[in-house]
Amino acid sequence: MTTAETPRQIAWARRRASLARTWREFAAQRTALAGLVLLGATVLVALLLPLISDESGLNVTKATGQPLSPPTGEFWLGTDNFGRSVLLMTVWGTRISLLVGFSAALLSVVIGTLIGITAAHFGGWVSATLLRFTDFFLVLPSLILAIALSAVLPKGVGTIIVAIGLTAWPSTARLVRAQTLTIESRPYIERAHALGGGHLHVIGRHVLPGVMPLVLANTTLVVGNAVIADATLSFLGVGDPNSVTWGLVLESALNNGAISRGAWWNVLPPGIAIVLVVLFFTLVGRGLETVFNPRLKK
Amino acid sequence: MTTPLLQLHDLNVTYAVGDTDVPAVRGVDLTLAPGGTLGVAGESGSGKSTVAMSVLRLLPRTAKITGEILLDGEDVTAMKWGRLRAVRWAEASVVFQGAMHALNPVRKIGEQIAEPLRLHPPSGKALTDAEVDARVAELLTQVDLPPGRAGAYPHELSGGQKQRVMIAMALACSPRLIIADEPTTALDVIVQAQVLALLTRLVAEQRIGLIMISHDLSVLAATCERIAVMYDGQIVEEGPSTEVMGSPKHEHTRALAAAFPTVGDPVSRFAPATSTPLPPEPPDRVASGEPLLAAENLRVSFRDRTGKRIDAVAGVDLTVSRDEIVALVGQSGSGKTTLARTLLGLQKPDSGVVRYAGKPVPAGGAGRKAYRRQVQLVLQDPTSALNPAHTVYEAVAEGPRIHRLADERAVVHRALEAAELRPAEKYADRLPHQLSGGQRQRVVIAGALALEPSVVVADEPVASLDASVRGEILALLLRLRRELGLAALVITHDLGLAWNIADRVAVMYRGELVETGTVEQVLLDPQHEYTKSLLAALPGGTAQRRTVET
Repeated sequence: MTTAETPRQIAWARRRASLARTWREFAAQRTALAGLVLLGATVLVALLLPLISDESGLNVTKATGQPLSPPTGEFWLGTDNFGRSVLLMTVWGTRISLLVGFSAALLSVVIGTLIGITAAHFGGWVSATLLRFTDFFLVLPSLILAIALSAVLPKGVGTIIVAIGLTAWPSTARLVRAQTLTIESRPYIERAHALGGGHLHVIGRHVLPGVMPLVLANTTLVVGNAVIADATLSFLGVGDPNSVTWGLVLESALNNGAISRGAWWNVLPPGIAIVLVVLFFTLVGRGLETVFNPRLKK
Repeated sequence: MTTPLLQLHDLNVTYAVGDTDVPAVRGVDLTLAPGGTLGVAGESGSGKSTVAMSVLRLLPRTAKITGEILLDGEDVTAMKWGRLRAVRWAEASVVFQGAMHALNPVRKIGEQIAEPLRLHPPSGKALTDAEVDARVAELLTQVDLPPGRAGAYPHELSGGQKQRVMIAMALACSPRLIIADEPTTALDVIVQAQVLALLTRLVAEQRIGLIMISHDLSVLAATCERIAVMYDGQIVEEGPSTEVMGSPKHEHTRALAAAFPTVGDPVSRFAPATSTPLPPEPPDRVASGEPLLAAENLRVSFRDRTGKRIDAVAGVDLTVSRDEIVALVGQSGSGKTTLARTLLGLQKPDSGVVRYAGKPVPAGGAGRKAYRRQVQLVLQDPTSALNPAHTVYEAVAEGPRIHRLADERAVVHRALEAAELRPAEKYADRLPHQLSGGQRQRVVIAGALALEPSVVVADEPVASLDASVRGEILALLLRLRRELGLAALVITHDLGLAWNIADRVAVMYRGELVETGTVEQVLLDPQHEYTKSLLAALPGGTAQRRTVET
């Protein structure tokens, strides 16, 4: 042997190279890069929050400010009707929103990918059944379904994640099914069959690596949707009442008369936070899509 | 002395790729007299299409043209945009490659033929609808299509009919020059003969100059007075067709000529064009061994959109023995690919059995998997038969991994060496797009060999490859048979291929085997009408073939 490298090392080297190429293409898009940097900063802040700020300020009984005080030097974004700092609540709300967003997106993408690949790979009655099932979820207003689910299940963050995850997968399933169909029509799939490869081999070696990039890009977009869905559910009062979320801040602003008293500082910060986080995810997702989806190139 | 219709003088074309200029055409001089016919031969990448397209300046923006292109004495490179537009189609027109994709699928063919008439009215003023319709009908008659077909959409026509429509379009404005870019590639032998005859007749009748581009010398020899052979952007040989075909001077011309052997020529029997010598026939070779793979009364049918039953394979008996290459010949749609898929167990037969070594092939489970190790597949287009994300090593190792063979690395290296990719380490970590077409096909063959099968089913293994590579791949199949006793069923539309390497031929027509026998029996003394018409359609035969026919 002239080369000391094993095929595994070669494969890894190639994977690194392809990752570097993907990164270069991604980083060449300035908006996507900006989205990624800002998103990274947001996640970092959310993770480090217990170290850099005091959670006790969220407790109603320990609130120090005047009720509904406009922005001051002490409370930059004013206070709510309990005298809690809106800035503190908005920043802490990031944690739950991101947690729910990521987990729900992961759940829905896993379900969607499984159903999409299964439907496309096996075809026939399996495909027909799964697709009708997908259509059913697709036509059902997902928000109403999510409300119904979270009303039935015990209240908590987990319920919100399940409710969003179980309603957001159909679009992913459709996307993955279409991509799987194009991959399975390629002759190298026929070659794999002729080599003796079974379903698991074809799916694991050829289909899954082929759909993964699109799934990844789709996931980032789904996270944004899940963040919005989480805020909506909390706003409608079916979320977890014990955790501080952006939706909950908005809900209490509405219910406690903050809006009618003109306390804009109770409404705008969580609203803008939702818009920004969703925007970051969309920027990153679009960037990934441009890199991975050959049809969007040029 | 008349001005030549077309004169290329020191034509150079370079493409800007990134920061570097890649020369595609280097110093080409060509002359075509009015009404003359010129064939340009060469492999893909030799620059032949670039030369042809430069005549009408139909090249991408990245192309830089220097030199003179005189069309009827007028320099095309110096033409203003408006003049160029007028010259395109009215003076010179193009029959594009791949009629399947060059027609707009959502417009009726009559409208598409009328398009150049409306853009370039022959008398200078716009034609009335009735005049256009009359001209379209006239053109369709000229290309032997009923004028009533003007209302048809492209998908309602066969490949040959689409190519006729393309020719009608090229004739629409009565040009003085027609450039035909691989006009018969992807057409069946019989259809190809019809299209070539049509083109030759029209060009002669209307005194149109013709430049025809092809990788197949025999096609050019059948149509053109003169042939120019291009290699690496240059013309390496030019002369009258008979001379170029009969006594080629340049080695590349010889390679091109040898790649398309003449059926009946004893020189090319069991001698595909290859640079490495073939091993001699083993002396102890038994002519007819035990049937290894056998189809018995095999039937496969599909339902079309209207629910009508189509018998793709209608009762076929076929055997392939150890140490034997069988060529399955037929035109597209004859059911030969379906038969191959059924033999491989990729398609379920309606009735009949596939036997391997005397025993019926199991429908599933471990028995089926074991059968897969014995009978392997080589696909037509190696580019799509390899996962673009897998390296050569991974592609070849795919089979051994599925069957959990021990010592995968050694198996892969042996397979690569057997497929003549030497040294194996050099190719192991390449990706398919870094290989040439011939190398890719070798990788596919290596992937099949890695399982040490006893039969290889090759579906048009050389149809998408260049002429010079073609001979090498065929030689590889022949060599594998001689050295390892590997049996092969080679599916092809090309009778020359059968003559090159096969021991026996089976001719398939509309789902049935109409004739089976040794190559010499079937190709030199055909019994069935269909086999006879296939042989008669071969362009430019030698004296030997004519003696067989008379």
